Amino acid sequence: MFSFIVTGIAADGAGKAFSGFLDLQLSPARLISDFMSASSVGASFINAAAVGAIGLILILWSKVQLSGAAFAAVFTMMGFALFGKTPVNIIPIIIGVYISGRLVGRSFSEYIIIALFGTALGPLVSLITCELGLSGLSAIAVGTAAGIATGFLLPAIAVSMLHFHQGYNLYNLGLSCGFFALFAAALIRAGGHTFDTLMLWHTEESLILTLLVPVLSLVLILTGLLSGGMKSLKDLLAIQKHSGRLPSDFMDMESMEGALLNSGLIGLAGSLYILLIGGDLNGPTIGGLLTIMGFGAFGTHLKNSWPVVLGVIIATLLFGKSLTAPGAILAAIFCTTLAPLAGAFGILTGLTAGFIHLILVHQTGAWQGGMNLYNNGFAGGLTAALIVSVIAWYRSRNSDFK
Amino acid sequence: MKRKELILHLIGEVSNYLLENNPKRLVISLHQEEDGLHLSVLDDNPHSDEEIENVDHALNSPKRPELAGYYGAMTGHDMLGASRLNLLGWQVKHCDVSRTRNGIKVDIWLGGDRFESDQFTIPKKDQE
Repeated sequence: MFSFIVTGIAADGAGKAFSGFLDLQLSPARLISDFMSASSVGASFINAAAVGAIGLILILWSKVQLSGAAFAAVFTMMGFALFGKTPVNIIPIIIGVYISGRLVGRSFSEYIIIALFGTALGPLVSLITCELGLSGLSAIAVGTAAGIATGFLLPAIAVSMLHFHQGYNLYNLGLSCGFFALFAAALIRAGGHTFDTLMLWHTEESLILTLLVPVLSLVLILTGLLSGGMKSLKDLLAIQKHSGRLPSDFMDMESMEGALLNSGLIGLAGSLYILLIGGDLNGPTIGGLLTIMGFGAFGTHLKNSWPVVLGVIIATLLFGKSLTAPGAILAAIFCTTLAPLAGAFGILTGLTAGFIHLILVHQTGAWQGGMNLYNNGFAGGLTAALIVSVIAWYRSRNSDFK
Repeated sequence: MKRKELILHLIGEVSNYLLENNPKRLVISLHQEEDGLHLSVLDDNPHSDEEIENVDHALNSPKRPELAGYYGAMTGHDMLGASRLNLLGWQVKHCDVSRTRNGIKVDIWLGGDRFESDQFTIPKKDQE
């Protein structure tokens, strides 16, 4: 977080970075709103540090162990704060989840993962506050109330959605938020609003953006190696044997050092892919890389990811799309939400999942009005549910009795 | 979650694990009190020391409220794939895994703060 603040100030200077950060709080945040394009590189990094700090403070306040799930949540929050999350649009959702927990006698620590990942619906709060024509305090009040109501409903939806794909979609809150956003978008459309397509995509090259994730990845790898030595390498190999199905906390199942090594390798592999295809390194792509690095401690590893990514690449090329197009590049990063399918059922299932995912993810963003930032989690959840249904049905074809 | 549903899910997850090796016998014994319960599941399959150690490790995972309160909902419910005893371990008070003459016995205690598992055992005749 500190490094993000330093990077933000180094990119733009403190004055521009902090004033840009303030402007972002009341900006539209729907997909795809690259904050580097909407404001500036420095403002985006300050925003990411602020959102990450909120996540970390909540984890410390609720006395939750800082392990795989929490690591993934903080990295994901920071990543998506480069293109959609802001402190102003996430806090109402977190309050809503807190109230929901109180109502059913649960402590906040039991729902904190839902609260942190549920901030994917931050753009819904921004939309109501900034895009529906409301003004002044009433806009803020209605937006905040909608965010609280959204957070209140998320725990119920998130738990049900787990059963839908049986833990084979890592971004379960992506599916949950997408499901909720379908209804929210329908309601908003019924009120006469039309969702204009947003496409703010930063294309300017910069050394800071090119080096950020590789350097961060190397720091994680060195931390893992220096603190764990040869054992971290052994644990890294052990991690590759897990399917990654939710909830696979690699820090618990193997070790923190092995998980850090895994996260760093995933960050390097993702960066290398983007550099090889000549893709842009901007808010969404760096956010995506940070997310998969976070999930390197909670379900994603190289062995269960490559078949799904290859499936996305094959589908992209087969349908004549460019690998560097925003949708395709984000799908190639975030499709690792389906990595547990490859980990549990093999390479062919992973390839199929990636292929279907690419087709679906191009549609789901419009369905939900771009209000759910984890659009790949939404499409991934639907894809996982389809594949899991077919596998379960096939396995039920007969009993083993002679 | 209602107590009946919780018990069904606990039984489901442990049974799912033990049934993977196709035992000839699987015995489930439940003893309920107002403030807790003791579930005992026995099979008649051979298990290696390493496997027993892994089961014991999974069932006695450190308490993880942030995972139990959310992902714990999958315990004994979503059965496509390998069983996940750690889901169960995050939620219960204490577990023991011990060898029997032919297989293993998994003892699980679950209850509120007033629940004392050492004063709460299944009568010996029920285990035979």
